[in-house]
Amino acid sequence: MGSTILVSLLLLLALLAVPVFGSSFLAWQLGLFLLYGIAAQGVGLAWGTGGFLPLGNALFFGGGAYLSAFLLKATNGNLILNLGGMIGIAVLLAGLAFGIGFVLFRGKAGSGPSFSLVALALVLIFSQLANTATGITGGFNGFAGYSTLGNLDAFGNFYYVIVALVVLVTLGLMLIQRLPIGLLLRAMVANEDRLELLGFAPHRLKAGVFAASAFITGLAGGLYASHQGIVTPQAIGFLLSAEFVIWAAVGGRMHPLGPLLGAVAIGWLSSELRDSVSWWELAVACIFLAVVILFTKGAFQIIETVLGLAKRLVPVSRQAKTRAVLTPPQSKAADPISTIRFDDIRLRAGSVRILNGVSLELIDNGVLAVIGPNGAGKSTLLNALTGNLSITGGDVFSGGDRLTNTRPHAVLRRGIGRKMQIPSIFPGLSVAENLLIASFAGRLKVWEYVLPQAMRWESPMVARLLDSAGLSFDPKAGDDAQILSQGTKQVLEFLISTAAEPRVLLLDEPAAGMSPTESQEMVRLIRSYVELTGASIVLIEHDMKVVEALSEKVAVLHFGEVLAQGTFEEVRANPDVQDVYAGGHK
Amino acid sequence: MESVYLFALNFTWQIAALALLALGLAMVFGQLKIMNMAHGEFVMMGAYSWVLVAQMGWPLVLAVPVCVLGVGAIAFVVERVLVRHLYARPFDSLLATWALSIIIRECVELSFGRQFYNVPLPLQGSLDFGIVSYPAYRILVMVCVLALFAALWFYYRNSRLGLRLRAMVENPNLAQAHGINTTRLSTSVFVLGCVFAGLAGLILAPTLSVYPSMGIDALIRSFFALIIGGLGSLEGLAIGTTIVSGMQSGLSALFSQTVGYLGVLVLAVIFIWRRPSGLYNPR
Repeated sequence: MGSTILVSLLLLLALLAVPVFGSSFLAWQLGLFLLYGIAAQGVGLAWGTGGFLPLGNALFFGGGAYLSAFLLKATNGNLILNLGGMIGIAVLLAGLAFGIGFVLFRGKAGSGPSFSLVALALVLIFSQLANTATGITGGFNGFAGYSTLGNLDAFGNFYYVIVALVVLVTLGLMLIQRLPIGLLLRAMVANEDRLELLGFAPHRLKAGVFAASAFITGLAGGLYASHQGIVTPQAIGFLLSAEFVIWAAVGGRMHPLGPLLGAVAIGWLSSELRDSVSWWELAVACIFLAVVILFTKGAFQIIETVLGLAKRLVPVSRQAKTRAVLTPPQSKAADPISTIRFDDIRLRAGSVRILNGVSLELIDNGVLAVIGPNGAGKSTLLNALTGNLSITGGDVFSGGDRLTNTRPHAVLRRGIGRKMQIPSIFPGLSVAENLLIASFAGRLKVWEYVLPQAMRWESPMVARLLDSAGLSFDPKAGDDAQILSQGTKQVLEFLISTAAEPRVLLLDEPAAGMSPTESQEMVRLIRSYVELTGASIVLIEHDMKVVEALSEKVAVLHFGEVLAQGTFEEVRANPDVQDVYAGGHK
Repeated sequence: MESVYLFALNFTWQIAALALLALGLAMVFGQLKIMNMAHGEFVMMGAYSWVLVAQMGWPLVLAVPVCVLGVGAIAFVVERVLVRHLYARPFDSLLATWALSIIIRECVELSFGRQFYNVPLPLQGSLDFGIVSYPAYRILVMVCVLALFAALWFYYRNSRLGLRLRAMVENPNLAQAHGINTTRLSTSVFVLGCVFAGLAGLILAPTLSVYPSMGIDALIRSFFALIIGGLGSLEGLAIGTTIVSGMQSGLSALFSQTVGYLGVLVLAVIFIWRRPSGLYNPR
C-alpha cells in the first residue's frame, strides 16, 4: 500500500514541477503525450492484465474526443456540466466496450485474433464515418469552435486537469493489483478453465476489463478535445490505435506506469524526429518487434531488473506483516441441494456416441465411484454435468430442478465442485494465492471484487481438512504452484475445489500419479471431506484400493452405458464386469 | 435490365477479387494456424511490384517475376527468422506478424513515399456482351480465378497435402516421426500463401489505388470471409467470399460503402459469437 501511494505522489510531484521549472508550452506538449499515455495505459490494462489485445482502442479515444467536443460546444464552458457530461460519455463508451467484449469473449473464438480484428475493423469503420459525415464531424478538416473544459486555458491551468487524471488512473491501476479483482485477473490469465469451475465467468471478467480500458481511454479522449481545440479523424484512426499498442508494449504492458512511459518517451521522440530522421518510425517498429519476441515486459523489464539489483545491494530489513485472517461469509455452494440424478444422458461428438443413455443417481453423504476402462465415458459424464460438453439427449436433475447444460461458471453456484483429471491449478501464482482465489469461490460477490478485506479471507475448510486428515501441507507457502510435485499438485487442487465447500464434489482420478502413501493421504482427505460436510461425491478412479476404501456404491461404465452398479463386492462378483476387465467382453 | 446484368458482373468481380485476396490467408491461417497480420502487407508488396518496375524503367511484364521472387524471398526469410518459432503460439504469432506488418509498411513508405499510385491496366478495352460491356481485364481475372480455384480443388482433393498439413499442425513431433519433413512443409506452405497474397496484390493493383496501408482492408475482409465460410477448406473460402462480397456490394449499392462495411462486420461478429467454426465445416 505504501509503495503505491509513494509512486503516485512522486509522479504527481514530478508532473507538477514541469510548468514551474519548464515553460507552459513544454507543459502543453507534455500534456498531449500524457493523454496518449493514459490511452496506452488502457491498452496495457487489457493486454497486460486481461490477456487480450485491443487493436482498435482509438475508437474510444476518438469517440470520447468527438462526443466531448460536441458536449463542450453545447454546454459552453460550464465546468460541472462539462465534467459530468464527459464522465457520462466515458461510461457510455465503457458500456459499448462491455457489450462488444461480452459477445465476442463468450464465443469459442474467444480473445484471440478474432477479437483483435473486430476491434480493428470497428476503428476503421468509425474513422471512415468521421471522414465522411462532414455535417457532424467536420470531416477531414476536423471539428472545432468549442470552448475548453470549464473555459480553462489549454496552455495554462488545463495541464493540471490532465495531471489529475494521469495520477488518478495510475493510482487506480496500481490499486487493482492489490484487490481481489487483480488476483482474479491473474488467475484468469494463468488458467481460465479452473477459474470458470470456481464460479467466475472469464468472458464477463474480460468484458469488464475491456470496459475499464474503454472508460479511461474515453476520459483521455475527452480531455484531448479540450487540449487540442480541434478533433480530426486522426484521433479515431487506425494508426493511432497501432501506436497505443506500440507504446504500451515498448514501455511495458505489465506495469501501470509502463505504457505512460512508452507514450511520453516514444511519442515525444517521434514528434521531434519524425520529420528529420526518415527511418525513425521504422526503428520504432523494429523495437516493437524485438519487445514482442524478446522482452515481453518492455522497458519495465530493464527497470525492474535494475531495481531488483539495487534492492540486493542495499539490504532493507523488511518485517512481514502478519495480518489478521478473516473468516469469509458462508459459501453459496454449501447451500443444501437435492440429490443429483442423471436421466438417460446421451452425448455425441460428431459421429462418435460417447454416452448412450446413462441413468445414475448420486448418493447423499457418501462416495459414488464410477469405474470402467479408458474411453468408457467417465470423464465425459462429469463434463456433461459441469457444462464443458453439451448433452445431446436426456437430462440432469437435482430434485425437481433441471441442471441440463448449465454453463461451467454457473455450476459452482448450484453446489457442484470439480477436480480435473490432470491437476489443474493456477501456475505462476503462489500456493497461498491459489487457495485465496479458491476461498473467493462461491462467496465473493461482484461488488466485493474491490473489497480489500477479501484479500485476508481464508476458507475454514482448508485448515479443517488438513487437520482432520493429518496432512503436512503448508497452505501459506509462497512457492509458485507450478513447481510442486504431481502428488502435491493433486492435493492442492483438491483443496482448491473443496474451499467453497460444494455439496457435490466431482473427483476425476484424484490419486493418479501418486505413490501408495500419497494415495492413502488422498483417501483420508476425501473421507474427511465427506465426514465434515456430508457431501455427495463422484469418484472416478483406476486404483481399486482407493475405490474399495472409499465407495458406498460403484457404477461400472462401459461403451457409454452403465454395465453394473452396486456395492464394491457386488460389482466385483458381477460376471459382465469381470469380462470387461479380463478383456473377454468386447 | 442492363443494370441487373451490370450488378451481376460487378458482384462476380467482387467475389473473384476477394477469393484471390483471401486465398493466401486461408493457407497460412486456415492450414498453419498462424494468424498472419502481415497478410495485407504481402498483398501490398505484390501491388508495389508494378511501381518498382515502372520506376526502374523495366518492361512491365517483369512485374510478375519481381513479385513472385521478391515476395517469396521475403516470406522465406520471415518464416525462418520469425514465424518458425511461433507455431502453436497463436497470440505471439499474431503480435509478431502485426509488428512485421508495421515494419513492411514503414519500409515501403520510406522507399516509395506516402502518395497513391495508379497502375495502368495491362489489358485495355472492354468486352461487349450485347446488353452490357465490361472491362476486358476484369473478365480475364474472373476467368483465371475460376480456373485457379478449380485446379486447386482437384489438386487438393487428390493429394495428401491436406492430411499431412493437418498432421503437422496437430502434432508436429508425431508427424515428424511418420516421415513428414515438417520444416520444409511449413516453410513451403507459408511462402506459398504469401506469394499468393502478393500475386493477388499484383493482379488487383490495376483496379485499386496503391498506397502503403492498402493491405489492412485486404486483411480484414479476407479474415471475415474465412470466419464466415469456415477455415481449412476451399468450399468454406468460396462460401465466405460470396457472402462477404455479396453483403458488401449489395449494401453499398443500396446505402453507402460504410453501411456495406458495417454489415459485413456485424455479420462476422454474429458468426464469431454464435458459430465460430463458420458455415462449411466438413469435420
